Amino acid sequence: MRKTKINIKSIQTDVLVAGSGGAGFRSAIGAREKGAKVLLVSKGRLARCGATPMAGADLTCHGKGMRAAGFFGEPRDSEEKFFSDIVHQGCFLNDQRLTEIYVKDGPDRLKEMVEWGMRVNTSDERAVDAPGTVMVDAVYRQARRSGVETLEDVVILGLYTRENEVIGALGLDLKAGEFLRIQAKAVILATGGWHKAYSVVTGSRELTGDGVAMALRAGAELTDMEFITFACNVIYWPSSYRGSIFTYVLSLVVGGELKNSDGQLVYDQYDPWMIDYANKTEWNKSFISIISGKEINKGKALSHGGLRYIPGRKSFEEFDQLVQDSYKDWVFHCASFIDLREKMRNGEGIEVGPAAEYFEGGIAVNEDFAASLPGLYAAGECASSVFGANRVSAATMEMLVSGARAGWAAGEYAFSQPSWDIDPKQEDTLLQSILAPLFRESGEKPSVIRKELQRQSQKLMGPVRNESEMAEYLSFLDALKTAVIPHLATTLKDLPYNKEWIEAIDLANMVDTMQACCRASLFRKESRGVHYREDYPNVDNTNWLKEVVIQQANGNWRISTRPVNTYKLSPPSGTIPYMDFTKNMMRSHSDIGGHH
Amino acid sequence: MNEKTVKITVSRFNPATDKEAHLQSYLVPITEGLSVLGALDYIYETLDSSLSYYDHAACAQGICKTCMSKINGEPALLCQTQLTEDMIVEPLDRFIVVRDIVTKKRGR
Repeated sequence: MRKTKINIKSIQTDVLVAGSGGAGFRSAIGAREKGAKVLLVSKGRLARCGATPMAGADLTCHGKGMRAAGFFGEPRDSEEKFFSDIVHQGCFLNDQRLTEIYVKDGPDRLKEMVEWGMRVNTSDERAVDAPGTVMVDAVYRQARRSGVETLEDVVILGLYTRENEVIGALGLDLKAGEFLRIQAKAVILATGGWHKAYSVVTGSRELTGDGVAMALRAGAELTDMEFITFACNVIYWPSSYRGSIFTYVLSLVVGGELKNSDGQLVYDQYDPWMIDYANKTEWNKSFISIISGKEINKGKALSHGGLRYIPGRKSFEEFDQLVQDSYKDWVFHCASFIDLREKMRNGEGIEVGPAAEYFEGGIAVNEDFAASLPGLYAAGECASSVFGANRVSAATMEMLVSGARAGWAAGEYAFSQPSWDIDPKQEDTLLQSILAPLFRESGEKPSVIRKELQRQSQKLMGPVRNESEMAEYLSFLDALKTAVIPHLATTLKDLPYNKEWIEAIDLANMVDTMQACCRASLFRKESRGVHYREDYPNVDNTNWLKEVVIQQANGNWRISTRPVNTYKLSPPSGTIPYMDFTKNMMRSHSDIGGHH
Repeated sequence: MNEKTVKITVSRFNPATDKEAHLQSYLVPITEGLSVLGALDYIYETLDSSLSYYDHAACAQGICKTCMSKINGEPALLCQTQLTEDMIVEPLDRFIVVRDIVTKKRGR
């Protein structure tokens, strides 16, 4: 067999940022603000991959901060109220120091976005509204203005370490088929979530948990991996709309009802106050997804696994008018949904269901958004703990707050560090595992395995969980890791844009990441926020006000716990049924009204 | 089951072996709302895993524009074009072909 030629190019920088969403760009800006040389590497098109450009979106900030940034904000609001609300929404699992930072830094982050050109559509008591594309473009432009160097269509494959310190990363230029040996004094991972591990994907196709997986493999701690937010009412069918949050947004803004395969109205089974409250706020993601999941688990799903979304108590004309007020001609985010209008008119409805949409957990970080390994930082969705067990406030604000702090910290750290040579043995080991599917003559097809992973995740690790399904899923993942991943083979053997090869690399990352999620999920024997277990349907504040910490050492899994940082607000006590506890958390919202 | 199929013809180019591109056709069953991107997914997953198209970081929702290609001679987004009839999918003009319909800008 002809030997495949491998090219490796060496690059040096002070701070390497992996990720080109809001967190990536804001981190890069932060490091530049400290005078560091910064290279930002994007897996796809700059500012048009990841989750940020797909977001609705809102940017949450307490009312007083909104006013300081020049917007009308609720005058009765305060830092304390916003903080309390986020901690209650997080069901007291938030690291309160990180939540406090989110609240305090918000106004400055909002102000600078306006200065950098973010044009806002509307604002309400605690948020401004602008499309995700507008938000990411504002930080992208500022990053360029401040001298951040960028590369696109380059994937970061793994971290280089020296005695447990992170000293750089190996990258791959996907179109050229060339490797990049990037020496960096600090690395900021802003790689987002791992939506693609599920079969209905709300994020972009490259969200495969790369940063979390490589941090895990390097020995960093992960926390809160069991908490996965499923957006409710995401389109399951027709296939070209699969993963779209259009119907989710409609259910929030316009209303509507869900029917199961028996034609029963799903919401009627539950507390009307909770249904009403959930449907008006981002509590819908946890609550409505869980009740949808219950319906689906009862065997009452439609043919593609979802539920029927219909105008419900409103007439179609009323419903249509409300839709068109916000989305004229049913155009949402540059795409036309006009053929779905007909389905809503004739009673067929649209098949929708829960779809993995946000990952509360990830790489464990401190107040500087530094990870547990020196030289490593994490920002945005791939970092853990701001939102605890359930995110309701905006992830867009998280990306900016964490990005700025990670950038400043990494930038400062970089000045104290020499540039270390990469260990050729470490690099070679990494290269061999990455190249293996190309060198293997025949074996398992990456796309077939990926589809099976997606099916099993959707079926066994959804919003409603139990021991036997999770155990089955873990066995499935362990078998993939030991017996399938080492046998993946691509059809084509050369490197430039080898789609199947990229698929094999992504697959390995998703397996590692979901193993961590499943282990954490099995370990937490209670329900809380977005982690709902049929076999432990109570919230257990006696035993479970803890974070589950996941780590790998020499390929062995270490699961431990540590107390949640609750220094400002004392958590409730006792064991409480999930629905009652959730209702308490919803009802404890500050007296300022609105959606946040 | 009444399944209509259409023929999708895609420009193929393997940089390791080919001097120039050639066209290759596949038969794809139409399912409700199937986009051209969905059709390429079908081909890649079930018929020919050597087919490459830019999708490793595609949003599939009309936002990122990375799937812009030439469809029946006109520039269009793969993910927003419904598959209703036979189609020819080629790389955009004025770009360098990396593989099949994956391109890069000139001067890189």
